[in-house]
Amino acid sequence: MTVSTVVERGRFGGKGATRRGKASIPTAEAESSFVRRGLSLLGVGLYAGFFLLPIAFLISLTFKTRDEVLLGQFFTSKPTLENWWKAFEFINLTGFIGHSVLIASLSAVLTLALATPATYAVTRLQHGELVGSLVLSSYIAPPVVALLPLFFLMRWLGLLNSFAGMILVYGLMNVPVAYWLLRGFIAKIPAALDEAAWVDGAGFFKTFLVISLPLLVPGIVATGLISLILAYNEFLFASLFAQDDSVRGLTVAISLFQGDRFVNFGQMAVASIAGIVPVYLIALFFQNHLIGGLMSGSVK
Amino acid sequence: MELHLARPRGSGGDGSRVRAAWLMLLPVLLGLLVFAVYPSIYVVGLSFTKSTLGQPFKAWIGWSNYRWLLFGGDEIFVPSLLRAALFSFGVALVELWLGLWLALLLTSLQRAGRLVRSIMLLPLMTPPVLVGIAWKLLLAPGGGLVNGKLLSLGLVDTPVSFLGTQPWALLSVMVADAWQWTPFVAILGYAALRQVPDDIIEAALLDGANERAVFWKIQLPMTAPLLLAIFVLRLIMAFKTFDLLYILTFGGPGSSTDMAGFTIWRTALRNFDVGAAAAETVLFAGFVSVAILPFLWLHRRVERNAS
Repeated sequence: MTVSTVVERGRFGGKGATRRGKASIPTAEAESSFVRRGLSLLGVGLYAGFFLLPIAFLISLTFKTRDEVLLGQFFTSKPTLENWWKAFEFINLTGFIGHSVLIASLSAVLTLALATPATYAVTRLQHGELVGSLVLSSYIAPPVVALLPLFFLMRWLGLLNSFAGMILVYGLMNVPVAYWLLRGFIAKIPAALDEAAWVDGAGFFKTFLVISLPLLVPGIVATGLISLILAYNEFLFASLFAQDDSVRGLTVAISLFQGDRFVNFGQMAVASIAGIVPVYLIALFFQNHLIGGLMSGSVK
Repeated sequence: MELHLARPRGSGGDGSRVRAAWLMLLPVLLGLLVFAVYPSIYVVGLSFTKSTLGQPFKAWIGWSNYRWLLFGGDEIFVPSLLRAALFSFGVALVELWLGLWLALLLTSLQRAGRLVRSIMLLPLMTPPVLVGIAWKLLLAPGGGLVNGKLLSLGLVDTPVSFLGTQPWALLSVMVADAWQWTPFVAILGYAALRQVPDDIIEAALLDGANERAVFWKIQLPMTAPLLLAIFVLRLIMAFKTFDLLYILTFGGPGSSTDMAGFTIWRTALRNFDVGAAAAETVLFAGFVSVAILPFLWLHRRVERNAS
């Protein structure tokens, strides 16, 4: 079959012709496509198994006694809940997770408050893209570059070991990512809408608030959640800026327990699973937002 | 393009709009100042001094931190730079390959694809510290699932110390990294593949092209700019790897999984040589830029050719 026959079919036969073309595929080919489908399902199954394995193993560890952990097997003959109550008794898990959630959510709000108006302004200004690329290029530098300077700055400002300090650091840290994500959403809003509002006499900021912001809600939700998760997961800055138990978050707390001889594998697994639960709940309830957010950032 | 509507038809509101826009940008510019400009200047200054955490800028010592790192004495930092590059290019390539494969699988599955998408989100959302813990427990010599299975299948006689011996240690870190980030590449790759109009692919299939040809002749060329962007993004992120190393190997055994970001942290916060750490930081930042710039340039070229 040549291109021209396809074009002709498309032009004269429309959909019916295409359907007829597909129906006339010999059965052997249909069988091979069945096999191919089976193979791709198998591939997907392998992938899914690989992605689930570490988490599933962590969960199985939480139900094992100290002796049974050493067997190195997946299933256990006599599951126990001992690890769960011991972990919560010995480790202030709810406290650490609470600190992390508090810092992460407030910093996400700060990131949004900074990045949303700025991204909007960047896309509507003539030389705005320049600022945009500056913001993005600041993302290239590894965070360890800012580690020491920020440490001295925060100590000077008295912000070490404080919620305010951590919220500020994360709130600013995630602005480039938020810009990258929001840009795609803002680009989809027709600029003619803004123009119409300006012609009607609305100011730039009011136009942003009343016209564009309501249309951006899905993008803002996605960006906020991703910023929140990034802040919740962060470790490097937290390990230096939040060393006190009163502000310490989950990632730092867990890093300190590995190597502690009072915490065994089972309790470690409990702490890990408990720490993962908040992010997985977000992933579960907002997966379409999250995936939509990531996809919108990448393809503009 | 519509981006430039901000300065239309010299009406009265024009200037005030531009002013308002810059006002909205101001907080972010201040943030850049605090998070990018100030640290850069501070670190460069610090790198010429003898400094500790308690006493930054204790004494001005010129180039001697750099001399020590590059030409004498130090045997850890320069190899750790090269190892960071090896690791970053390695994982970025592997993840691009596996992620693209997964993205192609996703496009061929409809309903099962949704379930896989949900599963894929989990590694991506997991805090890297906990990714490290999970893999450390999986690979542990005593009680790890991998060794347990290898032993019970009779494939090994004694447990393998995956994180304590080379080349297993570096490979293990790479596997854990791929576990976390392949889904990210897959989601972005899936978005890129969906940019290719269906009718082009359908026409090619009707013309008798097989799926392999469709991928190499249509999907790959049409998505090349986006795929390259994803690769660069992963490259940038891989150079930042810290948490996984901290938990899995702490740079060991010896310094065989030491990568620049981690080396800097150790110089500053374990050896308390803040001046040398600053010099390492400057060299690292330069090294990363040199490693990444060619790809940014290539991306720009490919994007221009595509449009």
